[in-house]
Amino acid sequence: MLEKILRSIQRVPAFPMTIQKVTELLRDEDYSVQEVTQVIRYDQAITANILRTCNSAYFGVRSRIGTLNDAVMYLGKDNIIRAVQTSGVSRFYKKAAEGYVPRASDLWTHSVSVGLMSQILYKKIYQQEQPVLYTAALLHDVGKVILGEYVHKSFDEIMDLVGREGCSFLEAEEKLFGINHAIIGEKIAEQWNFPEEISSAIGSHHRPDLLADHAAVFPWLVYLADQISSMMGVGGGQDGLAYRAVSEVAERFDLRDKDIEVCMVQLFEDMEKARELMAIV
Amino acid sequence: MSDVVVGISDLKVSSGEQDCLVTYALGSCIAVAVYDPVVKVGGLLHYMLPDSTLDAEKARQHPGMFADTGIPLLFKSCYKLGAEKKRMIVKIAGGARIMDDMNYFRIGQKNLTALRKIFWKNNVLIDAEDTGENFNRTVRLEVASGKFLVKGLGGTIKEL
Ligand SMILES: [Fe+2]
Ligand SMILES: [Fe+2]
Repeated sequence: MLEKILRSIQRVPAFPMTIQKVTELLRDEDYSVQEVTQVIRYDQAITANILRTCNSAYFGVRSRIGTLNDAVMYLGKDNIIRAVQTSGVSRFYKKAAEGYVPRASDLWTHSVSVGLMSQILYKKIYQQEQPVLYTAALLHDVGKVILGEYVHKSFDEIMDLVGREGCSFLEAEEKLFGINHAIIGEKIAEQWNFPEEISSAIGSHHRPDLLADHAAVFPWLVYLADQISSMMGVGGGQDGLAYRAVSEVAERFDLRDKDIEVCMVQLFEDMEKARELMAIV
Repeated sequence: MSDVVVGISDLKVSSGEQDCLVTYALGSCIAVAVYDPVVKVGGLLHYMLPDSTLDAEKARQHPGMFADTGIPLLFKSCYKLGAEKKRMIVKIAGGARIMDDMNYFRIGQKNLTALRKIFWKNNVLIDAEDTGENFNRTVRLEVASGKFLVKGLGGTIKEL
């Protein structure tokens, strides 16, 4: 079974070049709007999605944006990166992750909420946004798209391990399939030649404490964003809260209960404004 | 039957025979279902946090977000449809936590404590509950019958 799973990883389509190119272009402080739109225009799906997402209240644009040129001009650097990434990543969530959630849109909603929460947390701790972290958060559960059908088939066995033997959902996956959805996601990110900070954050998003590099921040923040959003039940699945708590995270970022509660209110608000982001899968 | 969906931080009341009030994926949030069997009026609240002093402005916009603003509004909204306090059946579900969580994220627990305090002060008894543990719950309240169904671990459904 493990071999079959590994083969399906290899069949995951390439990550859209558009996104990598745009991110590259935008790294330059005085990027040219023309250059950016030219790159995006080649990808019709992304273009359509960008136009939809950038009209979302989340980006706070007042008048309706009708062209790609306007989008790039009005959104500003941080937001255009966000819109491009969200639009590009959504295609990998089109397939339902059956065993985990009833509809494909649930996993996508969960992914967007973890993406938004990662930025709420990063802003709270470091007073700025972090696009690389956003990508990692958006993709953290991409392994579920592959593992979903196996989880679906072995659902009773998994629930037995989780319900009766006190396994976490992740441990149950490992026991039955020899691999878990976080590691599958990490392998997909490696296949896409993503920077190590993204792939390791995906791979360790349920157990950042087991990572050798203890100084890495992203795995912890993806972990925390995922757990808070799961507590709120946003796009929540069968695995729900059946993951081990790594309480070290609270001290690490000096967060109290109140801080978490404030972040939950903020996520509720962001999700209200980001409906268009949810609708693109 | 037609489903009336109650979102996070939201509440709905109904006396429609055909209605079924539903709320999905309660994690640490809590669903409070109230029902008056005589006039067949039901209400469902899905609150997220214990205490509205966290954000008074948000509490005004979304009273259903907090226990202390949502619960009174839930009861009052049912009274408007003819329900009476002494006949109300009260059932709750949710307030889950992450596995072996000891030191942080006690939000589910705090949500429950806040609710118990409010009920105790107002002499409201809980007729049935399915709370705590570490899985998501989906709940349904059938307005015609007052039946309260909780879907929990592994998709098993039970009537509370
Ligand atoms: Fe996960
Ligand atoms: Fe997740």
